[in-house]
Amino acid sequence: MVPARAEAAARFGGWPLLVVVALVAGATMDDYALTVAGTILIYAILGLGINIVVGYAGLLDLGFAAFFAIGAYTSGLLMVKQEWNFWLTLPVAVAAAAAAGVVIGYPTLRLRSDYLAIVTLGFGEIIRITVINLETTGGPNGLTGIPPVTVGGREIVTPRDFFYLALAFFVVVLAATALLARSRLAYAWRAIRSDDTAAEAVGVPARRVKLLAYVLGATAGATAGPLNAAQLGTVDPSSFTFLTSLMILLVVIIGGMGSRPGVMVGAIVIIALPEVLRTVQEYRGLFFALLLILIVLLRPQGVWPYRPRRLRLPAAAGPAPELPAAEGTLLEVTGLSRSFGGVTAVDGLDLRAAAGQVVSVIGPNGAGKTTAFNCVTGMIAPSAGTVVLAGRDVVGRAPHRVAAAGLARTFQSIRLFDDMTVAENVLIGRFARDRGLLRPLSRADLGTVRRCLEFTGLLDAADRPAGGLSYGDRRRLEIARALAGDPRVLLLDEPAAGANPTEKRALMELIARISALGAAVVLIEHDVALVMSISDRVTVLEYGRMIAEGPPAEIQEDQRVIAAYLGVPDDPETDLVTEVLR
Amino acid sequence: MSEFVQYLVNGLTIGAFLALIALGYSMIYGVVRLINFAHGDVFMIGAFAGFGTLTTLGVTGGTALPAIIAAVVVGALTTGVVGTGIAKVAYVPLLSSPRLAILIAAIGVSLALEEGVKVLTDARFKSYPHALDGGRIFSGAVHVTWGQLTLVLLSVVLMAGLWLFVTRTVTGTAMRALAMDRDAARLQGINVERLILTTFFIGSMLAGAAGVMYGLYYVQISFGMGFLIGLRAFTAAVLGGIGNLPGTMVAGVAIGLVQSFSAGYVSSRWTDVIIFGLLIAVLALRPTGLFGERVVERA
Repeated sequence: MVPARAEAAARFGGWPLLVVVALVAGATMDDYALTVAGTILIYAILGLGINIVVGYAGLLDLGFAAFFAIGAYTSGLLMVKQEWNFWLTLPVAVAAAAAAGVVIGYPTLRLRSDYLAIVTLGFGEIIRITVINLETTGGPNGLTGIPPVTVGGREIVTPRDFFYLALAFFVVVLAATALLARSRLAYAWRAIRSDDTAAEAVGVPARRVKLLAYVLGATAGATAGPLNAAQLGTVDPSSFTFLTSLMILLVVIIGGMGSRPGVMVGAIVIIALPEVLRTVQEYRGLFFALLLILIVLLRPQGVWPYRPRRLRLPAAAGPAPELPAAEGTLLEVTGLSRSFGGVTAVDGLDLRAAAGQVVSVIGPNGAGKTTAFNCVTGMIAPSAGTVVLAGRDVVGRAPHRVAAAGLARTFQSIRLFDDMTVAENVLIGRFARDRGLLRPLSRADLGTVRRCLEFTGLLDAADRPAGGLSYGDRRRLEIARALAGDPRVLLLDEPAAGANPTEKRALMELIARISALGAAVVLIEHDVALVMSISDRVTVLEYGRMIAEGPPAEIQEDQRVIAAYLGVPDDPETDLVTEVLR
Repeated sequence: MSEFVQYLVNGLTIGAFLALIALGYSMIYGVVRLINFAHGDVFMIGAFAGFGTLTTLGVTGGTALPAIIAAVVVGALTTGVVGTGIAKVAYVPLLSSPRLAILIAAIGVSLALEEGVKVLTDARFKSYPHALDGGRIFSGAVHVTWGQLTLVLLSVVLMAGLWLFVTRTVTGTAMRALAMDRDAARLQGINVERLILTTFFIGSMLAGAAGVMYGLYYVQISFGMGFLIGLRAFTAAVLGGIGNLPGTMVAGVAIGLVQSFSAGYVSSRWTDVIIFGLLIAVLALRPTGLFGERVVERA
């Protein structure tokens, strides 16, 4: 326990220590140093905000200064024009930034990362140009005459008082983001950053999660706006340019994306270094530019990289995965069709799978098996047909809703969250069962992770990064992740592809254990011997059409299957293959 | 009515060089999946190289078509070399890193070029020599100068040349193959790194030529000119469906028209708000741009 405690002390001891140092420094530094320190804290708050968007969720934001501006202008306008008290303007400023986060976030959710960068940049410019052009915001001169903040009747005017005010703001934002970093949402963010399609397929509501990143990032960053207005007594539109957005971004890139201590380091470098180099003021921009290039080339992870916290799994061995008790038909697909342009990839597929059954879909390459899977799981919309999952029609639902309804899947080309640990990968699968975001991991979450890891034999690898696993372990991890959502139906897309005979035997045994728990397992597989030995029923597809359906014994005798799938009858080669099949 | 036609003419002229810049964004995005943030600044470098050429040649005013062509050629070659150098130093080493890393490197390069030129020019504006023919083609209410016609023709020639290069030459075909699948292209024996550098060379040359044309038209250049023009051109590339060259050409001209009409009928102060608003609206409704894109996102 000692190392764990030491680790915890190193992890959580740093911040209180820093605050103590800051308080001591506040009492000893001169006014100039205190002003610089106040600005560092403002940029640290902005850095904590953008860290949520860029560091956690991986959404590049090049217009973050817009939220800074919205916070500053909202608060400034209310104080100057409506004579509100600073503290009353604060919630309004934050709410305005959160609303702006929705406005910019919502339409861009479907965009890929680099388009997103440009849209956020455009948004930042729109905000900046608008405040310059409007008269209410004071035009190019900005807002002036903002009254000083009062705390308990005392006016905050000296740099020292302001430093303490900024420190208080920083501590509040830091505490809030630290709580956020331990919530389920933070794990969902890292999952969508790694692979949003896979995250969605295992039950993470990807769009909501991305939108929350914008809103919460904007909220955290916007608190710096009123603070800045209070520090200067003015709101100047020239402080919200693209260069400001870049400086905020640089704070997290220098420090290390996703790393809160890194944000502090980044803010100090960005603000204090130019002060040190004040004599060569005109080279400041060039200096930033070269610093940015050098960091990306030489130390892309930042000076204080993010280190993931180890998941504390329960020590005791848990029972086997508890799948919801179910009987009878769990998955019923009828008349499923999908065409792409003129090509009908799947044509009138019927598929039934009951609790405890293993149903396989076989067919030559291009027969439409994976397309059928994608239609069933909601990744693409079928042109016609119904998909009923445990009595509920799920056709046309978003993948995360289908997953939540009890259908889990694996991918033909394995899609894991490579930069997360094995245990964290399994944890993401848990979102299909429990979609709570803004709360810490529950005991049930951690218990499930342990159970699923044990069930698939991956417990020893729990803290290793998923990207470093062997091929066979990666396949098993995908299954463990799928099981974490306690699915009623498990779709496995070519789980034996590339596996050696030993791994195949282990896989067959695993599938048998899963179906014994009462789940229905639907399998796409090319290994006919494996399919025939573990399946209760087999469906054969060719050119998108079902050409046979029945128990393995019948399929093996079916002349159409032999002809279509294996070759022409009466051909010596076909006879040979038929022999092998038996 | 004559007002409308005038804005149309101005818009087409601006669109002619916006399209050239947009093509560079589009080509480079096609082969390396990178929004080359520095592209607008490469355009700015081209304007300064052309300025240097014209002043060296001693052009101070009047009509000088040979000098214009010399300036365009020097500007294009300079930016070709600069663009290729940037790619070699800052982008190629990051090709296998996460996409975010290379984008951030591009932002750094953009800032470095801008700030570097700022230091070199003492942050002053430079006045281009009046080398374009200011004579009017029509003597009516609408001004169309021979200079405007020269710029549009020059742009059309360059775009036609690019089109022939991309569709008719082996290198151009290899470039299209590279845009579709880098690994498959490599397996077919294409020297991927060299081809990427070639693409940067050509794309940057187009931007450099556009920079000289901009200088000739607006007669004033500065270190910061690449930022907003670059963003407008990028907007055009996205609207046209990035990687889709004909779409990009059309969209470049369209953005030129939007710029001209919004300056004429609304106010030039709101031009960029309108352009970026358009960008956000189009992307929200059609995430692949107006004309669809040719590049596919690899899983």
